[in-house]
Amino acid sequence: MRAIGAVVLAAVLFGGLALGQEKYVVLSDIAWAPFEWVSQKGFYLGFDLDVMRAIAVLEGYEIEIRDTPFDSIIPAISAGKGDIGASGFTITEERAQVISFSVAYWEANQAAVVRAGSGLTLEQLGAKGRKVGAQRGTTGAFWVEDNWVPKGVTLVEYETYPEAILDLLAGRIEAVVADVDPSKMAVAQYKGKLELAGVIETGERYGFVVRKGDPKGLLPRIERGIAKLKASGAWDLLIQAYFGPALGKIEAAWEKCIPILLVEKDPLRYAQCLVAEVNK
Amino acid sequence: MDLETWAKVVPELPKLLQGLLVNVEILLGLISLGFVVGVGAALLEVYAPRPVGFLASAYTWFFRGVPEIVLLFLFYFGFDQFGIKISAFLAAVLALGFRSSAYQAQIFRGALLSIPAGQVMAARALGLSRLGAIRYVVLPQALRLSLAGWSNEFSSVLKDTTLAWGIGVVEVTRQASYIRATDFTLTLPLYLTVALLFLVLTYAGNFAIGMAEKRLRVPGLEGRR
Repeated sequence: MRAIGAVVLAAVLFGGLALGQEKYVVLSDIAWAPFEWVSQKGFYLGFDLDVMRAIAVLEGYEIEIRDTPFDSIIPAISAGKGDIGASGFTITEERAQVISFSVAYWEANQAAVVRAGSGLTLEQLGAKGRKVGAQRGTTGAFWVEDNWVPKGVTLVEYETYPEAILDLLAGRIEAVVADVDPSKMAVAQYKGKLELAGVIETGERYGFVVRKGDPKGLLPRIERGIAKLKASGAWDLLIQAYFGPALGKIEAAWEKCIPILLVEKDPLRYAQCLVAEVNK
Repeated sequence: MDLETWAKVVPELPKLLQGLLVNVEILLGLISLGFVVGVGAALLEVYAPRPVGFLASAYTWFFRGVPEIVLLFLFYFGFDQFGIKISAFLAAVLALGFRSSAYQAQIFRGALLSIPAGQVMAARALGLSRLGAIRYVVLPQALRLSLAGWSNEFSSVLKDTTLAWGIGVVEVTRQASYIRATDFTLTLPLYLTVALLFLVLTYAGNFAIGMAEKRLRVPGLEGRR
């Protein structure tokens, strides 16, 4: 029975059971837990991706999730190499000029991480002579540029977030500004070495991305799907399951519950299963 | 980086090796493509009539002059403009392969030019056609002489395969970033491991080329060095 389940799951995950439904390619930079990451066993999971799967089930289409560098997702969608971008995209004016956004599905704030015991507060960090790091191209970097650099702070930019954290630990910078969720994760992983200096309320909103003008008519379906998930309560359960528990626990729960979503096609029961498993 | 951190890297090794296999696949594809096209371009540059030789020079000029990551984007996204669907893997092999062919062409061109012109004349005098002289007299010597320079190109393009992630090919550095995404503390050990894997590959590759060099040596030919 278990073997059959595994085969069905594999077929659904990799082959996509062709039932004559349209198939859309979802692009995501799958290295940004808990929004999207690759499990120990090589499965793609995360809040964004499960929302995409649940919407596909509710709206009756198939998706293929493809790992793509963050910077390439918007060019790829413009070139027709993908249909939907689901990778924690902050809604901005500049991006909205080349692609179309769905309604906002997430609100994020920034946080500053400092070395444990440094005792630095946000006020002290935003002062002349301080050196603060951030990942290039992220809202964290833009925020420091706009708010702290005029006060005399030096912004040091990094290709990836973990590199900025390494430099903080090495003592070359005094803080790293990034989204709240990865910031909390860094503090949890470097126990006793890092702490949160504070949360910066920026209220940027995430949206899903489609080709400019939405030629395939995907936005109404995505937005209807989000509304259905919220109305049923599955949305809040997914948030509970993904934001808080340890990643290893989420992976185990996901592997156990995902057939409910993909085979039985029941997003609510799937989300309930996920929450029950991570809280075990 | 204590032992405990390193112990967390060990179970991830299969994933890294799985990624490295993709790098090796890209390498084999690009270096073979680069060899075939590179020898052709070098022969045209040296022996073809002016206009054709000029075209071959323009070709190597273009592919040596454009940054690799730009070439990758041009191949991956550019083909779509003409309605040709191309996978990221194939785009990486083609972009890096053509680029390598331009560099390899320079290696072969230098070797072709180092064979004294008198040899071709002698071959012609013995009744070989011009093509025959190139095929049986010049090329076998030139390729042997190219091996040292070619091993340099091998080491260089081996590392270039990591750029393929720029268009979405999941290779070893991407596998490393998957692991890093779930545990930031592994960042440095993972990079060190990847570095070690590449050092081993470069060593193995250069060792093999060195063996080939010994095998193919013609007494007296390389002795002129």
